[in-house]
Amino acid sequence: MGEAAKKEIGYKDVNDQVLRMLEPPGAGWYIQLFICVALVIVGFFCWTRQLLFGMGMAGIAHPIMWGVYITNFVFWVGIAHSGTLISAVLYLFRAKFRQPIYRLAEAMTVFAVMTAGLFPIIHVGRPWFAYWLMPYPNERALWPNFRSPLVWDVFAISTYFTVSAVFFIVGLIPDIAAARDRAKTFFRKMLYSITSVGWTGSHSNWRHYMAGYLLFAAFATPLVVSVHSVVSWDFAMGNVPGWHATIFPPYFVAGAIFSGVAMVLTLIIPLRRVFKLHDLIRPEHFDAMSKLIMLTSGIVTYSYLTEFYTAWFSNNIFERYQFWFRPFGEFKAAFWGMAFCNCIAPLSLWIKPLRTNITHLFILSIIINIGMWLERFNIIFTSLAREFVPAAWGGYNFSWVEFGITIGAFGWFGMWMTLFIKFFPAVAITEIKEVMPVPMRNPEAAGQHH
Amino acid sequence: MKGEKAVVGVFTYMDDLLTAIEKVKAEKRDFRVYSPFAHHLIEHATSPGRSPVRFVNGTGAMLGLIAGFALAIWCAMDWPLRVSAKDVVSIPGFVVIGYECTILIGSLAILAAIFHFCRLPNILRKVGYDPRFSDDKFGLVVGCSSGEVDKVEASLKDAGADEVEVRDGL
Repeated sequence: MGEAAKKEIGYKDVNDQVLRMLEPPGAGWYIQLFICVALVIVGFFCWTRQLLFGMGMAGIAHPIMWGVYITNFVFWVGIAHSGTLISAVLYLFRAKFRQPIYRLAEAMTVFAVMTAGLFPIIHVGRPWFAYWLMPYPNERALWPNFRSPLVWDVFAISTYFTVSAVFFIVGLIPDIAAARDRAKTFFRKMLYSITSVGWTGSHSNWRHYMAGYLLFAAFATPLVVSVHSVVSWDFAMGNVPGWHATIFPPYFVAGAIFSGVAMVLTLIIPLRRVFKLHDLIRPEHFDAMSKLIMLTSGIVTYSYLTEFYTAWFSNNIFERYQFWFRPFGEFKAAFWGMAFCNCIAPLSLWIKPLRTNITHLFILSIIINIGMWLERFNIIFTSLAREFVPAAWGGYNFSWVEFGITIGAFGWFGMWMTLFIKFFPAVAITEIKEVMPVPMRNPEAAGQHH
Repeated sequence: MKGEKAVVGVFTYMDDLLTAIEKVKAEKRDFRVYSPFAHHLIEHATSPGRSPVRFVNGTGAMLGLIAGFALAIWCAMDWPLRVSAKDVVSIPGFVVIGYECTILIGSLAILAAIFHFCRLPNILRKVGYDPRFSDDKFGLVVGCSSGEVDKVEASLKDAGADEVEVRDGL
């Protein structure tokens, strides 16, 4: 029996509860949008300073040439990751707890990739030449080096964005049609009529749609593995102490799912409260997400320990020094912060009541996201700060420009999420109905139709 | 939809709808079923065949695989530059490009197939559609000639339709 059915809500109630979210917004929504747009303006102002006065405005300097921007890039790609896991992988496994949360997770994926994609462009310094990464005929007959992990990354991220966006939009079409059929204002009617592309839910529509959706899920699933594996190869293919390890792809994939599920919790808990979605998003869903966090936290912790073990076992002085430097060197606060947030704090979920304690989950989700940002910081900064030649060692000074662009990215992400939840159904109407009991006039005789 | 008239039956119960579909199929009439969500019972009752979307997807994926490798190999051959004694055409390095292009083109092929086979965008062909069909009701629209309207109407009511309405066909 479906989760939503436990309170005996009907199909109409699902439409009522979800489409109520699209009603004209209150002051709180405008305040949230204003804060997000203000942060975007701050970020844009900082970026213009960097464009006008050069990369010196950022703290990037030898030897840490990747700095905060690549940390942010990896962080946001990681956030994007679990959306596809929840929407595609859990769809193939027929996990019913995904239904009320997957739409928001998919939206999070698309907007997080849109955020992540900004950082390589910001980082290259001259963004008007960013298209050089793409293979295109040019006057020098030069092509990108397809053996470079950075070019793999361009293909992996652009494919991920395209496929995630298509999967997200296709999934939205039947629900937009439901919104269209209840729209009251001319603007909304036009918006939903155009974006639902005339969807009617005829048996022919559903037949091809469901076949395509299953294939989408099957094609998006390898992306869950590939995207963060490719991102991890940006590091692992380089002969840098602390980076050159075969454990990186599974370690990054688990970390990405870990941070992404935490971000889903950060977003869905306030949404559930504000829009009173308690009947649709129930304690069982939080319990299932908590278990996913416990699993991925365990994998991440194991990976951290494995890194230390392999550094010791390799008997390589550069590796050994790197893994001494991380917990005891200049950036030790980041290491211990990461260890607390990603390894220690999630252990609280082994206590069953805390897996459904909403306040606890909300605080923990924020702690995990801080921890996962620190993890990327830890990987990038410490390894670049202590490569092979001591004469080339160095530190890092953050600049206000980097800080401004970082918070601007959060504003950018928040702005799209804020707009999305007010204009499009943030909870999947049709898929919730699919797991509800079908109304039968004669339930005993219904079996003969099978 | 064939027929100058479209008889629209609105159903609350799935078993009633399935009974009506069986009747209409037995009479060999043109029909269309609307439902607020996909359900295997409706799919079995209406279209036992498998959707051709998968063939388009498979073709797109194969093309993507070939295109990805071809792009990387052709670019490497166009300006041969040996780096670190590695092969100019280093297939392991190109696997990522081939892999990503397989998924990208395969997925775009699914999108194109869904739009093609569902006939989307579909602004004008909503014969017999009712906004309740995206909410909590099922619909069965049957195409027929003017002379057969009463018979079809009676048949849908007999199957358990909440209400039956006659509209012009398309």
